[in-house]
Amino acid sequence: MSDFTSLVDLKNKTVHPRVFVDPEIYKAEQEKLFGRCWLFIGHESQVPNQGDYVTTYMGEEPVIFVKDRSDRLRVFLNSCRHRGVKVCRKDHGNTKIFTCPYHGWSYNTEGGLQGVPQIREAYHNDLDKDKWGLIEVPRVESHYGLVFACFDEESQSLTEYLGSFAFYLDLILRRSKGGTVSTPGTHRWRMPGNWKLASEQFAGDNYHADTLHRSPNLIGLGPDEYRGGTPWDTDFEAKCSNGHGWINFHLPSEDIPPVQAEYMKQLEKEAQEVLPPRQAALINGVQVGTIFPNFSILGFLGFTTIRVWHPRGPKEMEVWSWGLIERDAPPEIVEITRKMQCLTFSPSGIFEQDDGCVWGEITDTLSGQNRINYPLNYQMGAGHGKELADKPGLLHPPSTEIGVFGYHEHWREMMGRK
Amino acid sequence: MNSFDLRQEFEEFFIKEAWLLDNDKYDEWLDLFDDDTRYWAPVRENLDRGNENFAKPHLLSHFDDNKMTLGFRVKRLATGYAHAEEPPSRTRHFVSNVQILEKETDRVRVESNFIVFRGRPGKDETFFVGVRRDWWRKDPTGWINEERMVIFDHDVIESITIFF
Ligand code: FES
Ligand SMILES: [Fe+2]
Repeated sequence: MSDFTSLVDLKNKTVHPRVFVDPEIYKAEQEKLFGRCWLFIGHESQVPNQGDYVTTYMGEEPVIFVKDRSDRLRVFLNSCRHRGVKVCRKDHGNTKIFTCPYHGWSYNTEGGLQGVPQIREAYHNDLDKDKWGLIEVPRVESHYGLVFACFDEESQSLTEYLGSFAFYLDLILRRSKGGTVSTPGTHRWRMPGNWKLASEQFAGDNYHADTLHRSPNLIGLGPDEYRGGTPWDTDFEAKCSNGHGWINFHLPSEDIPPVQAEYMKQLEKEAQEVLPPRQAALINGVQVGTIFPNFSILGFLGFTTIRVWHPRGPKEMEVWSWGLIERDAPPEIVEITRKMQCLTFSPSGIFEQDDGCVWGEITDTLSGQNRINYPLNYQMGAGHGKELADKPGLLHPPSTEIGVFGYHEHWREMMGRK
Repeated sequence: MNSFDLRQEFEEFFIKEAWLLDNDKYDEWLDLFDDDTRYWAPVRENLDRGNENFAKPHLLSHFDDNKMTLGFRVKRLATGYAHAEEPPSRTRHFVSNVQILEKETDRVRVESNFIVFRGRPGKDETFFVGVRRDWWRKDPTGWINEERMVIFDHDVIESITIFF
């Protein structure tokens, strides 16, 4: 087994290009990351009733996310135990039974093998149905609506895995009394580029915004409008435990459309009732974060997108993204944020398009037999981070790469585990 | 005007519209749209036959613009910093199967299929395929678009940097 740990240089704060292009590394990641980390599955609100299901992926593996007959959330590999055909071929729906289209084995929502055609005549009743249920992902836990699953039975709990990052995640998930729901529909698109390039950016690359997203800025829609908080206090990036990272900066209250300004005020008020003061003080801002390895969240002005960067080979990713909104949000806010989702962070998003175009070029150039020998620089802010009493993590005002490198430090640790 | 003439008129009209898009005439293209037009593309889903319903309100869309937000997209291209379109894509719009679906005194609903080729540097090539369902209103100045629903035939799509 190759040693990948030398590819992330802890002393010099560099990452080797192989990390983003090497098929051997990609293959090892499937086991060492996607086989061991908590991966995002969906939002509880996607499966409100017994028998509701959604099909998605954990890494490259198709899975079914279902609410069973006793309201338990379960995740199964979407693959028949007989020859492996997908037992569920729809994006979502409601069912009592998943029937395989090949020979007709059927499974209930608890994963149990229920029906086998010709079990008497052809199997002579010798098939032990109890042994041939759907393969279940052993760990499924949820954090205020967001459901994650983990293939590693021995893994720490989701709460331990999120660690200090929950403080930040909750700025969105717990700022209102009713919590959040995911809005209908999934944006799904393919992009050239290694999946980690997207994850690391959301973990703490605020540096790119001024340059890469200059065009929305120039037409008056960009992040330039959004600065104006206090460094360290409201404007900061946080490197959290387990490779998670967060970016936060305040939105000035002028220049905000009145309906949304009103809504944010109301959220701030609610947050003061439901969250500790040091969290409530941070509600009104631009917030971006990544939960290692491939879940990201981004929100501003009441709009939130959550997404998974599914790996599709070392040089391609498939993005699945959803909108998130307060359960009790007024209809006009739901509609405004849906429009924001379509315009800003979607396959046609005026921010998203430009992110996508650079990630593909990175994996192209880094594959070059010369370029691959020269490490990538993650030194920004190294040694200048601080721990503060009022919020967790290693902090520094934007811009810094402390969090981005933190993502790779954790990658190194996971890839080094036996 | 009978349906045959109207169909022929729209076939010619769509050829001109496609020419505008393929020749960088985005401002002129934008002029075809009403201020509160709806230019949108609902996401596609794999569901039981007949269960995809585009009449539902507030569907998630790949884009969902009025003339103002469509104008943002056009202006963005002109900044020279819309990196996903720098250098600009080569596009070719093929529009066919034009049908008049409904006719009112001064409005018509027209459907047309499309194949759009997008060429980016380094043989980065994409085909987008789908159908457009439009409402056009007859104005003294010509046809004005009140709605264009772009229904892609892709479920997992690619980055959308161009217009349809
Ligand atoms: S593969 Fe599913 S029943 Fe044979
Ligand atoms: Fe970005």
